[in-house]
Amino acid sequence: MPESASERLSAAGIEHRLHEFLVERTKTEWEPGQDLFASGVVSSLFAMELVVFVEKAFDVVVEREDLAMDNFRTISAMTDLVLRLRKAADA
Amino acid sequence: MPEDLAGIVTEAVADSAAEWDLAGEIPVDLLRGLGGKGLLCPEVETGFGGLGLTGRECGRLTAHVGSLCSSLRSVMTSQGMGAWTIRRLGDRAQREQYLRRLTDGELVAVAFSEPDAGSDLSAMSTGIGEDGDSLVVDGVKTWITASAYADLVVVFGRYGDGGAAVIVPATAPGVRIDPVPAPLGCRAAGHATVTLDAVRVPRENLLGAAGNSLAMLTTIALTYGRLSVAWGCVGILRACLDAATEHARSREQAGVPIARHQLVARHLADLYVAERTATLVCEDASRCWDAGSPDQVSRAVLAKYVASRAAAQGAARAVQVLASAAAREGGVVARAYRDAKLMEIIEGSTEICQLVLADRAMGVGR
Repeated sequence: MPESASERLSAAGIEHRLHEFLVERTKTEWEPGQDLFASGVVSSLFAMELVVFVEKAFDVVVEREDLAMDNFRTISAMTDLVLRLRKAADA
Repeated sequence: MPEDLAGIVTEAVADSAAEWDLAGEIPVDLLRGLGGKGLLCPEVETGFGGLGLTGRECGRLTAHVGSLCSSLRSVMTSQGMGAWTIRRLGDRAQREQYLRRLTDGELVAVAFSEPDAGSDLSAMSTGIGEDGDSLVVDGVKTWITASAYADLVVVFGRYGDGGAAVIVPATAPGVRIDPVPAPLGCRAAGHATVTLDAVRVPRENLLGAAGNSLAMLTTIALTYGRLSVAWGCVGILRACLDAATEHARSREQAGVPIARHQLVARHLADLYVAERTATLVCEDASRCWDAGSPDQVSRAVLAKYVASRAAAQGAARAVQVLASAAAREGGVVARAYRDAKLMEIIEGSTEICQLVLADRAMGVGR
């Protein structure tokens, strides 16, 4: 497996990429546990961008019960989701 | 876009678009025929009986259909959006069953808007309840494109704490479909009010799952719809540009073809710019869609915004160039003028698009 792909599998690596994307896209700094939607400044449209980003960046498919706001509410929640989906894919 | 696909649609439409517009109806067998060739939802994978076109190929085909008949293009948008919703929210068994049916001649409509939930879809009140092995759907859906023709309606509604969509057969007891009499534009697109009165469907008709966000689900479905409408507007502009240039070449006033009059030439230039601009913004959005880029969401809004405004303004210019020659119901430019205006309203009004684009520009919203 190429180095970039194995890096993606670690929680820290996933968090880093999510943080990078969020800062670039929202022009705002985010803490891992900070609620993206509570502020009201991040729209539901942006939630779909997050779904597409997560799928493309981490080579996973987000579907069915996973299409829930709670999975995209924080950087930590998205990291957990990616780890779970990666584990399921590898199994 | 494979040439033969465009040719099949050209042949099917022939010179009937005006007649369909005046009658307010496209023969349903013709729709089933095109649907059965996979042409109404061309992105469905070949494994499910579809044509497997990329987003860009599908867009170019959509523009071609839109240049011939916006009512047919609207039906195509609904079919494509229904198929995409099932593809994206459904499970393997649902995809297998329904995508095959949608590439085999069955028609689908997608129901979001309600009497009190238009731009604000979060105000949706249609409910999807549970009763044993059944789901029970209650609500009223308005201006549902293609629902007058549909065999299936994908109905979005509240489900538990969140939202879901459910596949409802149009023939299920409790479903009533009342066509909108004489719509302003896309008159043959089968717009209707869909009333759902305690409609029971099997639980396996549910798309999505408990805990899904209604806003997220509708955004997923509408992103396809916005791209499709945007490409349809490219088609409207191409039809207008063709009609205007042809007229400006053949019509003479003050001893010269009217294209030689500078104020007419300005209309022609603006129409050309509108067609090129709309095409480029659609190509860009579809490239993002095909690449799986997160930018696809906002670029689809951008494309829909730019292309629908360009089409509404461009169609008005075309009417001006053709003048009395355009002032006949059913004619290509008269249809474009009415159809394009509706495109500024559906799938996110111009004003809603502006708010979304302002949020995108600001990064975190306003």
